Amino acid sequence: MDNFLVRDLMVPISEYATVVVGTSLIDAVKALEQAQETFTMSKYHHLAILVLDERGQVVGKISQLLALKAIEPEVTLKFEIERLREFNFSDAYLAQLRDLYRSHGKIMSKDSLRQASVKKVEEFMQTPSPGEFVSETSSLDTAIHRLVTGTHLSLLVTRGEKIVGILRMPDVFAAVFHKMTALEKAP
Amino acid sequence: MKELEKLFNRIVQRVNINLRELNFDISPFADQLVPPDQMSKFYAFYGITTDHPLDLHFEHSALAGSYFLGKCRVRNSLLYKSDIRGDELKRKDHTFTFNNFTLTLTRDEIIDIEDSALVKTLVHNYSHDPETHEKFFIKNTLAMDYANIHGAPSDGCFLGPFATVDLTTMRDCIIGAYSYIQAGEIYHLKVDPGTIWVNSPGNFNFFYKYLPEDLERYVYLSPDKVPWGILIDFIEERKNQFQRVFDFVNLKAIKSVPETASLDRYAVIMPNIKIADNVLISQRAYLENSILGKGANAQENCFIINSCLEGYNVTAHGAKIVESDLGANVFVGFNSFLHGKKGSRLQIGQDCIIMPHTIIDIDQPLEIPAGHLVWGLVRNMEDLLTNSMSLEELNSVESSFTKGRLHFEGKGALLVKAFQDRIHHILLANGAFYEKGKNAGHAQRNQKLSLNTIQPFQFGEKEGMYPNIRIFP
Repeated sequence: MDNFLVRDLMVPISEYATVVVGTSLIDAVKALEQAQETFTMSKYHHLAILVLDERGQVVGKISQLLALKAIEPEVTLKFEIERLREFNFSDAYLAQLRDLYRSHGKIMSKDSLRQASVKKVEEFMQTPSPGEFVSETSSLDTAIHRLVTGTHLSLLVTRGEKIVGILRMPDVFAAVFHKMTALEKAP
Repeated sequence: MKELEKLFNRIVQRVNINLRELNFDISPFADQLVPPDQMSKFYAFYGITTDHPLDLHFEHSALAGSYFLGKCRVRNSLLYKSDIRGDELKRKDHTFTFNNFTLTLTRDEIIDIEDSALVKTLVHNYSHDPETHEKFFIKNTLAMDYANIHGAPSDGCFLGPFATVDLTTMRDCIIGAYSYIQAGEIYHLKVDPGTIWVNSPGNFNFFYKYLPEDLERYVYLSPDKVPWGILIDFIEERKNQFQRVFDFVNLKAIKSVPETASLDRYAVIMPNIKIADNVLISQRAYLENSILGKGANAQENCFIINSCLEGYNVTAHGAKIVESDLGANVFVGFNSFLHGKKGSRLQIGQDCIIMPHTIIDIDQPLEIPAGHLVWGLVRNMEDLLTNSMSLEELNSVESSFTKGRLHFEGKGALLVKAFQDRIHHILLANGAFYEKGKNAGHAQRNQKLSLNTIQPFQFGEKEGMYPNIRIFP
């Protein structure tokens, strides 16, 4: 286990949920469901969807949290709240304002769900940041450090310029604590 | 390339360097701002009075149609039909208090304009910058049509048309069209068009922003067009009347003006005007078929048409009042547009405060009850209910509220007091309370003002530029 490399724990991209730019939110969620059904390598389900461009390169990632954020209505108002910070309004006032706007815009209504379901993935995906990549030949130490410092739920695994897989936090977590438990039992 | 063009290009570059962090290029807005042939068409002029110390210093600048009063230095700048009013500058030995600091001025304050272009802009009041109390600086700045720089030193800023910055030091900022900012100090801030922001840190914070689609009917600015909209059209339609007062050296005096009132020689006075005691009518104000009661004032670039102001009314710089009846002590803030119509008059009860940059544009009669604060866009009773609040209710606000597009945080009573104190100060400074030789202000003092003109080069490389001149007693 001490010699584990990232590639030993990663999920190959071919087995992961991927969609192309231009896919709607609802189709992306369907792709995730389908990937979860066919994936049996680990007891942990996929929690994210990768977004690929027309050349097959990963250009973004959608987590469940981002998908939920996407169905929150009043995007413009949310933007305005953030701008108010520049005009010296307190955090307490901004929090109060968010609650006020939320109470106006119902999420679980037919209209807002229908509206959200046709949103394109590129409107709400997260573009990978530089600290979110790890080489397939990196040690697990390096991967753990990147997950922790960047508070990422997964890392994109590279082979040269190409993204070949995804390293998920639950798999790393399981590996680390499996080793810890084994040590406890050892004489 | 002529000197004037070189000067303007240099100013544009300097402003752009300051705004590089905000990724803003003023060049498209500057391109058609002032046609060079206009710069040699108009004379500049200055006031001489015993009440304000005179020291004017012009160097390598173009000053077409601009007016100067008091102490002012202009270097490497282009001023077009702008008013640089130094009648409220601080004087030597004045004591300036800021927080726990007290400083005494060692010399008279001066307005110092450098490397800037001001178009139809009003500069007034005194520097509120605690670090430069003897210099009201404006540098590396471009201000577009009908902007107000009011007690607001500026370095590296762009002000869109009808923008007002009031009692605020600004550095490297973009102030969008028809925005009003009063916030003490601002840095590297981009303010969207139609933002009304009044912030007194620790006391109150008032913020309203027009919907872009609502504002663009009134003022619109885009990189590929000159500014347009109802407010621009409104002024353009009356442009010829101003031409008349600027073309003649001596105009016939209007006899019906009381001795205690002041009517500026460069104001436009159309038929049927009644002016009571202690009224102040500033230059570039436009009055038509209206009554101004005792102590009322109409400041620079104001329009008062078919209206009645009962008395002690402040009509701040650039405000427009049409087909309206205002009770006593009504304050109409900077650049507000009160647009009643025949058969749809606007009535405003006494002691109301119309916030700066408010637009009331109605097609049905509308009555605003006494003692209310009004802001933003009001087109009907429904808008009024959203965009107004009684001063009594506002006085009771202890922490915050949200109403329509208004955000307010702080104590409402402090906002009300700040405005009421300021209104009283303006009336006092303007001489509204003058009685038997006491409480004289601008209305009484401006009567002892004479004017001189200065001319630009008419030919050659320096066409449109003014000779370097120092004018002092």
